[in-house]
Amino acid sequence: MSEPTTLLALFEDIDPAAEAIEKLRELGLPDDQMNVISGVPIPTRVLGRPRVKTNVPRIAMSGAILGILVGVFLIYGIPYLYPLHVGGQPLFPIPPGLIVTFEMTMLGLMGFSFIGMFLDSRFPSYEPMDYVPEISDGKIAVFFKCPSERQAEFEKAMKEMGAESVEPKEAQEL
Amino acid sequence: MAVTANAVSRPYQEEEQEDPREHLMFDPKPRGEMNGMVMESMHTTNWKFWVVTILLTVVVVTCLFGAWGYMIAKGLGVAGVNRPAYWGIFLTNVVFWIGISHAGTFISALLRVMKVEIRRPFTRAAELMTTFGLVQAGLSVFMHLGRVWRSYWLFPYPNQRTIWPDFHSPLMWDFMAINTYLLASTMYLFLPLLPDLAMARDRSTGWRKNVYRILSLGFRGTEGEWKNLHSAMNIFAFAIIPVMFSVHTIVAWDFAMATRPGWASSVFGPYFVIGALHSGIGAVLLVLFVIRSTMKHMKYFLRPEHFDFLGKLSLIISFTWAYFFFNDYLVPWYGGDKWEKLLLDFHEHGPLAWVWMTMLICNIVIPWAILWNKKWRRKPWLMGIIGFVINIGMWIERYVIIPISLTITRMPFTWRIYKPGIEIPLTIGTFALFMLLYMLASRLIPLIPVWEVQEGQEAHTLRKVGKATIPAVSEID
Amino acid sequence: MDNPVQPLEAGVFEEINTGKWGMVIDQDLCTGCQACVAACAMENNLSFVGEEDLAYGRAMHWIRIERFWNGQYPEVNTEFQPVLCQQCGHAPCEPVCPVYASVHSPSEDVNLQVYNRCVGTRYCANNCPYQARVFNWRDWQRPEPLNNQFNPDVTVRQRGVMEKCTFCIQRIHHVEDKAKSENREIQDGEMVPACAQACPADAIIFGRIDDPNSRVSKAARNNRGFKLLEDLGTLPRVSYLKGGSPHGRNS
Repeated sequence: MSEPTTLLALFEDIDPAAEAIEKLRELGLPDDQMNVISGVPIPTRVLGRPRVKTNVPRIAMSGAILGILVGVFLIYGIPYLYPLHVGGQPLFPIPPGLIVTFEMTMLGLMGFSFIGMFLDSRFPSYEPMDYVPEISDGKIAVFFKCPSERQAEFEKAMKEMGAESVEPKEAQEL
Repeated sequence: MAVTANAVSRPYQEEEQEDPREHLMFDPKPRGEMNGMVMESMHTTNWKFWVVTILLTVVVVTCLFGAWGYMIAKGLGVAGVNRPAYWGIFLTNVVFWIGISHAGTFISALLRVMKVEIRRPFTRAAELMTTFGLVQAGLSVFMHLGRVWRSYWLFPYPNQRTIWPDFHSPLMWDFMAINTYLLASTMYLFLPLLPDLAMARDRSTGWRKNVYRILSLGFRGTEGEWKNLHSAMNIFAFAIIPVMFSVHTIVAWDFAMATRPGWASSVFGPYFVIGALHSGIGAVLLVLFVIRSTMKHMKYFLRPEHFDFLGKLSLIISFTWAYFFFNDYLVPWYGGDKWEKLLLDFHEHGPLAWVWMTMLICNIVIPWAILWNKKWRRKPWLMGIIGFVINIGMWIERYVIIPISLTITRMPFTWRIYKPGIEIPLTIGTFALFMLLYMLASRLIPLIPVWEVQEGQEAHTLRKVGKATIPAVSEID
Repeated sequence: MDNPVQPLEAGVFEEINTGKWGMVIDQDLCTGCQACVAACAMENNLSFVGEEDLAYGRAMHWIRIERFWNGQYPEVNTEFQPVLCQQCGHAPCEPVCPVYASVHSPSEDVNLQVYNRCVGTRYCANNCPYQARVFNWRDWQRPEPLNNQFNPDVTVRQRGVMEKCTFCIQRIHHVEDKAKSENREIQDGEMVPACAQACPADAIIFGRIDDPNSRVSKAARNNRGFKLLEDLGTLPRVSYLKGGSPHGRNS
């Protein structure tokens, strides 16, 4: 049993990267051992990768529901607790209620989708991670874990598929 | 009638085809090069930049904070508000700045939802306008309060007096809406900024790198991160559009709910929203022109085609504004309410009729005279001027609606014309602060969303259809 | 006093809400002498704003005399209209205050301006169709020894605070307390606001308009009676008796 090494294969374009990922799969690497990082968002089906799930919509929905509750409290709970009469308008007015509830719902929806993005991506994370600065210059990086005795085999396969460079990469501080 | 095909002297292609590389989306550069251009435009300054910055800082400190402190100490008597014009230039500024901020949301949210690709390079510049515009609007709201040190009472919080704010009031709807909009647009500014902050982090050294490292939250660009970012950005784009419409409608309702002649108009809601877009798109034109002419490499990203697009949009919105204005004009003109008619007469023929006329010239006549011409729309300097003129017209429109309309009440004994006082330096101060914030931001925040430009450039291809090469966009998202 | 007025529900036929305290101003009797203005200023600690501010429309007059010239010289006559806060039953100034500084009193059925709650947004003043509200644009000081004149029953307002006629609510409370301590009802004519007290022509009548036999109720039923801007539906508690009789002419 040998330690798996993390190798980084850098690609310039999408087509060689997609072919290389398929090659990795042929070589016996499961999908969760590969980490594809890119400077522009590439839909997972373009690279032949499994679909990524996100929790952001669910968290956003819960935020919207919280917003509705806050809005209803503001417009109905407050006059119930502290009634004050003004200008012949009803104590529990419906049109202003719609306005305030709408705004609070939207605030909840958007605020929680923002927070949800943080939570789901585990932001902020400042520990050392798999990354190279070339990624933000538009390169596609495929980090994969392979058993160290097969390292040369993998390196050769990636070079054949058109990788710019293949080398072992430690997790680094961003 | 028989149609004969005559042989054309020149081949078809030469006459009809323009060079696709004229368009940013068909003129791709390597991402690394584009990154370098944006970083360089952030870091390159000359002495002129610093002179302007220092001047603006001086103006902000004296005209904004100095004058405001004086007003807080002495009371609103140093301003020009009186009976019956209890609201004057402060509220004009509030509506103006909120209006400007709507263009940013329109461009980055509505155009994103409609997949209008030409928006790609200028979304961030527009969104920055939104955030900084809302800052000025917030300041102006605080400025107009009589006892600004008690303004926290508008916030619903538990207190011993068991009294909470009154949600019957349109000002409270305003409070909720503007805060929602401010928070939402700041978050929406930050989301697409995250990958560019990561890029800046990778390309910076020293204290800058530390700042970007912290701000970019450890963003790398993994599949999960992109998916979450996309998901959040989609929710924002869809959700912030109704918020954008509702915010300025609620601001309009501050006036429409009042019993003043000329204010209690049911058309005010949509009228103000269109007015916001009108002034906002004009401001975007002006800001883009300034960015393009003063910052390095921006001529690659901001091209005549973008000014052309915004010019067309501005013309359409000017038509729509004229439609709503005519609605609002026709009803009192036709008669029925004596006070509304008196107010209309005052606008058109009173001592301040020149203000009303200037508004119509700036908002309708000049845009309609210039913006129909494609060649003129592609001149950034002309578009910058048109944007400036439209903003003058729209500021005057709010001045007409607020202090000038307040002159006429149902009790003629109280009629009195508003004369601005300390509002003038305070207004200059808000404009200076807006420019100062923008200039400082241009040093720290990459103004072009390079990842979106690259994403767009990768999706745009040239297809051969028959004998012609046709530009095509793939929906690769 | 034992019959607090119920607040209105929307849609309820409003004319049953006549109010509690009300006023009648007889424009035929009013000579425009401004004694009411002066008395109100004395009673309620109003500030004197100076010439410049007054010319710019910032006078702190809770009641103002509007003077209208009718006709052409030499057949000119003047009409005087004292305007004060109408204490509307459906006050437009109330729903628009974001901090509940302008609320309706359930017990006295007048509009209350709560000075220590006012943040100074001035929406209420914009919304008042009678322009009856005045704002403290500055901290006007009273020079010595005029500051000794302050009425101790009434506060002095800070800059940034809205104020308006209160129907001399401090006097209402005083009269009510007195009646309660003597174990009796308030008599008609016992409660006199400062303006009514000072008027030499007795043009201002004040009292309980929910009592059909009070002097003010009878005067309001006069066929010269009208209300200001009645079509706005504000339900004002002040009735005016139209002038214009031959005795009002300057001849």
